Amino acid sequence: MSSGKFRQIVGLVLIASLAYTTLSCAVASGNQEFFGKTVPPKRNILRYVTGDEPESLDPAISNGQPEARIYMALYEGLVEYDAKTLAPVPALAEHWHINNDSSEFTFYLRHNGRWSNGDPIDANDFVYSFRRALAKETASRNAYLTYTLKYAQAYNEQAVFVRDPATGQFLLAKDFDDSLPPEPISGSAVDGAKGEYPADAGPAPETDFHRQMHTPTRLTLPGDEKARSKRLAANAKLKAAVAGKELVPVKAEDVGVEAVDNYTLRLYMVQPAPFFLGLLAHQVFRIVPQKVVEKYKEQWTQPEHIVTCGPFKLKSWRPYDKLVVERDPMYWDAANVKLDEIYFYPMSDNPTIMNLYKVGEVDAVLNHTVPNAWLHVVGEKKDYMDGVEAAIDYLLMNTTKPPMNDVRVRRAFNLAIDKAAWATWRRIVKPLTAFTPEGIFQGYPQPKGAQFNPEEARRLLGEAGYPVIKKDDGSYSCPKFPVDQVEYIYNTQESNKAMAEWMQAQWKQNLGITVSLRNMDWKTFLNARAKLDYKGFARGAWSADYMDPYTFLSLFYTNGENGTGWVDQKYVDMLDQANRTLDNKKRYELLAQAEKYLIDAQPIIPIDTASVNWTKKPYVKGMYPNPGSLFPWKYVYIERDQAKWDYGTPSLAAD
Amino acid sequence: MLRFIVRRLLVTIPTILVVITITWGLIKLAPGNFYSGEKRLPPAIEKAIRDKYGLDKPWYQQYGKMMWGILRHLDFGTSLRFEGQSVNTIIRRSLPVSAAVGILAYLLALIVGITAGSIAALKQNSKWDYGSMALAMLGISVPNFVLGPILVLIFSLGLYWLPPSRWGGFPSRNLILPILTLSAIYMAYIARLTRAGMLEVLRSDYIRTARAKGLSEKDVVIRHALRGGLMPVVSYTGPALAFLLTGTVVVERIFALPGLGNYFIQASLNRDEPLIIGIVAFISITLLLMNMLVDIAYAFLDPRVRYH
Repeated sequence: MSSGKFRQIVGLVLIASLAYTTLSCAVASGNQEFFGKTVPPKRNILRYVTGDEPESLDPAISNGQPEARIYMALYEGLVEYDAKTLAPVPALAEHWHINNDSSEFTFYLRHNGRWSNGDPIDANDFVYSFRRALAKETASRNAYLTYTLKYAQAYNEQAVFVRDPATGQFLLAKDFDDSLPPEPISGSAVDGAKGEYPADAGPAPETDFHRQMHTPTRLTLPGDEKARSKRLAANAKLKAAVAGKELVPVKAEDVGVEAVDNYTLRLYMVQPAPFFLGLLAHQVFRIVPQKVVEKYKEQWTQPEHIVTCGPFKLKSWRPYDKLVVERDPMYWDAANVKLDEIYFYPMSDNPTIMNLYKVGEVDAVLNHTVPNAWLHVVGEKKDYMDGVEAAIDYLLMNTTKPPMNDVRVRRAFNLAIDKAAWATWRRIVKPLTAFTPEGIFQGYPQPKGAQFNPEEARRLLGEAGYPVIKKDDGSYSCPKFPVDQVEYIYNTQESNKAMAEWMQAQWKQNLGITVSLRNMDWKTFLNARAKLDYKGFARGAWSADYMDPYTFLSLFYTNGENGTGWVDQKYVDMLDQANRTLDNKKRYELLAQAEKYLIDAQPIIPIDTASVNWTKKPYVKGMYPNPGSLFPWKYVYIERDQAKWDYGTPSLAAD
Repeated sequence: MLRFIVRRLLVTIPTILVVITITWGLIKLAPGNFYSGEKRLPPAIEKAIRDKYGLDKPWYQQYGKMMWGILRHLDFGTSLRFEGQSVNTIIRRSLPVSAAVGILAYLLALIVGITAGSIAALKQNSKWDYGSMALAMLGISVPNFVLGPILVLIFSLGLYWLPPSRWGGFPSRNLILPILTLSAIYMAYIARLTRAGMLEVLRSDYIRTARAKGLSEKDVVIRHALRGGLMPVVSYTGPALAFLLTGTVVVERIFALPGLGNYFIQASLNRDEPLIIGIVAFISITLLLMNMLVDIAYAFLDPRVRYH
């Protein structure tokens, strides 16, 4: 399709949405307590809109949130998210022990775990699933989340160990890199006397694999010939040491996952990882059935083959129409699963979704669904879910091109935005000056960034060589600023456009600079941003992969592939240091310092902490507006007694 | 006639291949890829995905592999975005949805359009004529992305009579609003085409002859005038039906229908190469076949047209 026609169609769809928004809103007003009908479904089912059509029902494949919610119905892992706080709670693991420096985790599995075909679930299923998620052939987009497992990254990247054929000894990482921290307990020799585990933890059986893991981390080199030569060329000592040695590919069996016995699983970290437990509820750690996957390959998730392990199993799946899951009688906790079925409707057009909600054909909708123009009506209703989300909106800046390569200019543009006024206009967001969402991570000493200060912004611009002049009518102009070198790009969407225009107006008003706006389709936009093929500003948004500030801060833990071109080894080192810190309070402090460093360097302009912004019928209970919009479905039920309905947003405080 | 059909079919094949090739080239030129997201994936993972789908092979190998699959088995490969789902299956599954809505909408458009157009022509310059032509003008001017929401507003959100969206199977009440929305513009066009065609035919010599022979007005209109007057409608039907069969992006989106049009736009936005090519090829084939059917229909309707 030609791009003109394409743009036309995209345009049409947008106009359609807009027309829809405006029209539907007219009828949306009314005086009732709730938005639309509140008649519970006759059967014990939940009809939920989860967002776009799932890419795959394989939990290793997709990194999307719509998929994550479906995976939570179909699959289970060692732990599950708490319905209110998203903290890890026992699931297939009944309990666990963590060693003294959080580098070794031992999980004790429940004995009654079963697959939907009745097969028992044991520790080998976890070993298989973790290894599979890391295998290159699986091409899992989430594999990087497992990299704290020992040798996981090396296996995923198809790296090689270096072995001396004469002695059979492997070269060790610490011999070639002085900056490496000392080995964690899991990488030091087993010493029974020292007591690796807290006193109350039972003794874990000794195994060969355990002893093997408790050796210093081996050196790994890229498996790819070219990349390896480059690495060796840069380090003469390394090159000399590797010469004449044999290269041994890192295998799945080398990854730090061990089935100690049928119901004991031990995981070895490459570093102290106190945050690891919180990660374990992520989809990439949910298990898949080995026999079925190996037999049907990529077809294993098709309805006729699929075998699952969650509270629900797949009943039918018609893409872009409906995915139905039903209660799985084989599930270990089936007696406590309250719903008979869940219908997941794959839809992405917000007004269409809200219409279905209003007429009572769906019982709850996904986050970010209430259009801006509807908020003054829907936001007042008692079925509107108001809550802060573990997500932020921000702007990226291309720091490689003038004038944005000057930190003073970047700061000026940040200072010239009145974020409080933006939040008031947008109704549901909270102004943000730092890079992690506000009020999400308990005990995290989030740093404060600069507040709105147009005076200072103008001063900074002047200092950078672009004096701002006050005109007779009180407005500003900045004639020397190269406006043709700056633009604001965003992906085509009504709310993004509104945000872009708002920022444009702020800069015009406070700096006298008119930044031109340019919209493009999502994939083109991502490409332009990733390749720094833009000048000035690009829209950014991120929602947490897991409940830790690091999921935000790690966006800049890169070699400059972050869309801004900003690379700073010091920032990377600060994050490393924080993550190796055992004491959580201390770790949070170090992360906060890194965050402060990032916002001072200002490759980004923080805008707001997002809001969950969705609706559910008052009779849907056990579903909470938690900051990740992830719902453990087994607790959700339909309440037919009106007295027990939710009148307002249910509290997230623990019972 | 047979020679004509065979010749046309033979011309169709290279046309389709050219369409596929151009589409393939355009997709390769489009920036972005199917796996990109808000957070850039680590390079090793990007590489793993590219290797899995053979995206780093030389272009002629990728092109050759695709063409080989299409020519040998009519196999368009596996969707990139929807893991493990073959393009052929997706088309087979979504075509009936689009076709059901499209054909019903066109039938409705034909019935209402031809009736209204004929009445307008027969009672030229009467209130019937002005009335139906004004309505037709409105039908052409109001785009379906405005009409659809208005219908939803009235019949779903206001009166709670009909479901506002979603596919409810066939037949179901869910189909009524999409069909009405979709047929409006075709209805209007057909009414205008019929009126114009009829007016022209009604003034022609053979109608005068028929009347002079003493045929009743009913016979004149139905047996003689309509047959000639509908020629423009017939030529319009080919491409119109082809587009309707293969799905309409806007209506399928407004009403959340799992049809081909919905897949088509999503596939383009997702850079799902095999799926885009499969759907483009399918639409082209349908379009060419429909046009051929129109040409054949001419031969039956108009004795002056003969193919050699």
